[in-house]
Amino acid sequence: MINKVFEINNLDLFYGDFQALKGINIDIENNKVTALIGPSGCGKSTFLRSLNRMNDLIDICHITGNIEFEEMDIYESGYDVINLRTKVGMVFQKPNPFPMSIYDNVAYGPRCQGIKDKKVLNKIVESSLKSAAIYEEVKDRIKDNALSLSGGQQQRLCIARAIAMKPEVILMDEPTSALDPIATLKIEELINDLKDEYTIVIVTHNMQQAARISDYTAFFLMGELIEMGETNKIFTQPTHQKTEDYITGRFG
Amino acid sequence: MEIVRKVNNKFLKIKNKNKKEKIDIVVNLFFLISTIISASFIIIIIVFISVKGIIPFITDNNGIGSVNIFKFLTGDVWLSGTAFKSNLYSVGFIIVNTLYIALLSLLLSLPVGVLTALFIAKVAPKKIAEFLRTVIELLASIPSIVYGLFGSGVILVFVYNFADILGIQSKGGNSVMATVMVLALMTLPTITAISEVSIRSVGKDIEHGSLALGATKTQTNFKVILSSAKSGIFASAILGIGRALGEATAVSLVAGNAKSGPTLAFFETTSTLTSTMLEGLKETTGIDYDIRFSVGIVLMVVILLTNIILNYIKKKVGNVDVK
Ligand SMILES: Nc1ncnc2c1ncn2[C@@H]1O[C@H](COP(=O)(O)OP(=O)(O)OP(=O)(O)O)[C@@H](O)[C@H]1O
Ligand SMILES: [Mg+2]
Repeated sequence: MINKVFEINNLDLFYGDFQALKGINIDIENNKVTALIGPSGCGKSTFLRSLNRMNDLIDICHITGNIEFEEMDIYESGYDVINLRTKVGMVFQKPNPFPMSIYDNVAYGPRCQGIKDKKVLNKIVESSLKSAAIYEEVKDRIKDNALSLSGGQQQRLCIARAIAMKPEVILMDEPTSALDPIATLKIEELINDLKDEYTIVIVTHNMQQAARISDYTAFFLMGELIEMGETNKIFTQPTHQKTEDYITGRFG
Repeated sequence: MEIVRKVNNKFLKIKNKNKKEKIDIVVNLFFLISTIISASFIIIIIVFISVKGIIPFITDNNGIGSVNIFKFLTGDVWLSGTAFKSNLYSVGFIIVNTLYIALLSLLLSLPVGVLTALFIAKVAPKKIAEFLRTVIELLASIPSIVYGLFGSGVILVFVYNFADILGIQSKGGNSVMATVMVLALMTLPTITAISEVSIRSVGKDIEHGSLALGATKTQTNFKVILSSAKSGIFASAILGIGRALGEATAVSLVAGNAKSGPTLAFFETTSTLTSTMLEGLKETTGIDYDIRFSVGIVLMVVILLTNIILNYIKKKVGNVDVK
């Protein structure tokens, strides 16, 4: 068993001439929740997107350094990006279900991988919805359009959609920022359940949330990784003054 | 004194308010008048055509006898008997021809148009996309007579030769196939332009959601983007079929104006409601003239019904039943 899912070495990332990430070194541990915190614009989303190469979609973006996923450099030429994305799922800030039925949303990923067998798909859909703690709410309306769900339900559906791929890692970019406190609580509970099976990397602006759900916390500031460690330690005795300022809210 | 001032103030307020309201009323009146003018023109046209078109059915047409409306709507020969002496007109087969041709042309232009739109919106590099967009806009604004001339100069020849290779003798290429091709060509720019806009307006978040699940670009385009844009694509199809149903000039030049039917075979001559109305309109009088207005009523009803049906389907297909 590999303990480190991701190993990031000297990662620099540029948007054109602008350097958004500077010399990042992080290991992401298996079956743990890692929280990324830091002020707006510090590069959290950018970092997250570089883990499943969604940055490829931004023309002006280029990187140096390397990111190893399961001991393979994912930016090496010839690396199978499609395969990477099936193993490293992503949940976005704004729930983004496809405008199709709940069932089709969850079955979408597996279908794209060529799974056609109805029985197999049914099983995947059911188990994914169950894992995302939304099955009970939607089981009678599985053919309804996903856009008819509430925001919180939509986000759990998006998590179900990611789970359906049976990924190793789920990346979440502020998954609860568009949700009310109750929906947020549900997602947090869900993340707690999911970490037995998945490695989760989550961006959050909510310090309590980071403290509640994560095992490790990484603090970013202006494209640099200031400090990373066990969440307990970061929140009780951070090494850096800036970290302390930020988590205690004394920061700009 | 105090009371007087208050009353005075109030009076002033009302007076002021009235002034502004008066402007509002005048402006609204202006809007209303414009609306009435444009609406009344539509109504006048409809009434005029209806009144003219109803004459063959309710008068004895100067001794020829009135036209039987049931036979008119179901028959398969435009005119049985001699012109100006017979009342045996019918458009039944022409209705079938018209719908058949519009449908076939849509079957051709919709897939091509949507794929082109997808290419422009999602695949082509920015500069090429910009260029193609301009070309499509230009094509959409070309008057139909130009398509008609192109049809009779190029498409007829092509169809004639093509039929010849297959061992079929066509009437100079005038045929269902030529008509369908001209109409498909004419509706293609409209369908492409509108589909392209609706494809382009599909949110990036949905596209990224699909790619992040390990879908390829092609899978994303076909499974997510197209289905998200289907409402706009449908709207483009409705406009396209409307243009196909209503086009007269270009169709008259390539249809061959068949006098009986319906024509289903690709290389046979055909006729549509519009081409029938147009043909010889200037050289005829009496019942033969009036009956073209009856065809006009049929055309308006056909277009209206098609629109209602398509809009109904669009609602069923494109809409999300949000609770
Ligand atoms: N597509 C892009 N093109 C150019 N610059 C970008 C792009 N995306 C992000 N940036 C820049 O990179 C920096 C980091 O952005 P990023 O979105 O990663 O920040 P963030 O930490 O996620 O912020 P937030 O908390 O507000 O989401 C910012 O200065 C931003 O302006
Ligand atoms: Mg962000």
